[in-house]
Amino acid sequence: MSGKGNKAFTKEEELLLQDFSRNVSTKSSALFYGNAFIVSAIPIWLFWRVHALEVTTSLVWFALVTGASTWLLALAYRNTKFQLKHRVAVRREDAVAREMSRKLADDKKMSRKEKDERILWKKNEVADYEATTYSIFYNNALFLTIVILSSFYLLRSFTPTVNYIVSLTAASGLLALLSTGTK
Amino acid sequence: MVTKYVISLFLIAFCSSSLADSCQNPQVEAASFTSLDATVVTQIAYITEFTLKCDNPLPENYALYAEVEGKPLTAARIGENKYQVSWTEEPAKARAGIHEIHVLDEEGWASLRRARRADPAATVSPLLAIQLQHPGSYSGPWVNSEILATGLSILVAYVALRNKSKILA
Repeated sequence: MSGKGNKAFTKEEELLLQDFSRNVSTKSSALFYGNAFIVSAIPIWLFWRVHALEVTTSLVWFALVTGASTWLLALAYRNTKFQLKHRVAVRREDAVAREMSRKLADDKKMSRKEKDERILWKKNEVADYEATTYSIFYNNALFLTIVILSSFYLLRSFTPTVNYIVSLTAASGLLALLSTGTK
Repeated sequence: MVTKYVISLFLIAFCSSSLADSCQNPQVEAASFTSLDATVVTQIAYITEFTLKCDNPLPENYALYAEVEGKPLTAARIGENKYQVSWTEEPAKARAGIHEIHVLDEEGWASLRRARRADPAATVSPLLAIQLQHPGSYSGPWVNSEILATGLSILVAYVALRNKSKILA
């Protein structure tokens, strides 16, 4: 992203911008969508084997709901990651700076600016990685809990098809909605 | 006089025939079955099959009766000297352990009935006793799987929420 960025910005500014932007890299995006798809598809097993939902007649619903839920969950992952990243960066700042300084201390040729840039880059990388993984864990945990609670208790009396559609869309919709909040 | 003589002869013949009819020195080989999974049945079944061997040959329709814990049963004849005793019980009442089956022949059964009329707790030594071992039946897990899944997922969600608020604090 930094390679094809606006020429008016310096490399440092670009890093800073990337640090604060909501955009995620392609790799991160693939990770989000892949994870969201797996987690959205898992309840199919629950509804098929436990709630006795007829598979062949519900294929269209499976596809639609899994697709919608994947999109909503990926949105929730992204937003949660954005929320967490800065806090993680602040918490890891000192430790990353200390470690990088120790690593780069022997390198006499490197300028101070270059070292600072390296530290900033490393800090961004660590915060990005930790925020991404934690965001996935957090949203998956809440998603599956909401699906289990609503399918087993709240929507128990409904038909399996209604139960499936409402449980999954409600769970992923709720998470997407909550992730847009500031806290 | 002659008639009396004939009658007593008949009696002797009858007695000796009835004596010959009852099984001498009974030996038994038994195999048994009990329901082990109470989740799919409404009654626990106890079945025992045994082959009776006697020193004297037994008549074709030699009837046997059984009594299990005060319950009267008839042993069904299922083959050459082969019998089957079976009964069912509610899963709640079915106790694990050894169930003693007292098997009696017609004569023993009649004397037991007679003794019971006078004293309901009376016992008559049986022709043979078979022990049926019931190890207990499985009536489902202690914790429902959905409750377990709910509990675990709530625990994980709680940890996730707590850690998030810790990071954001």
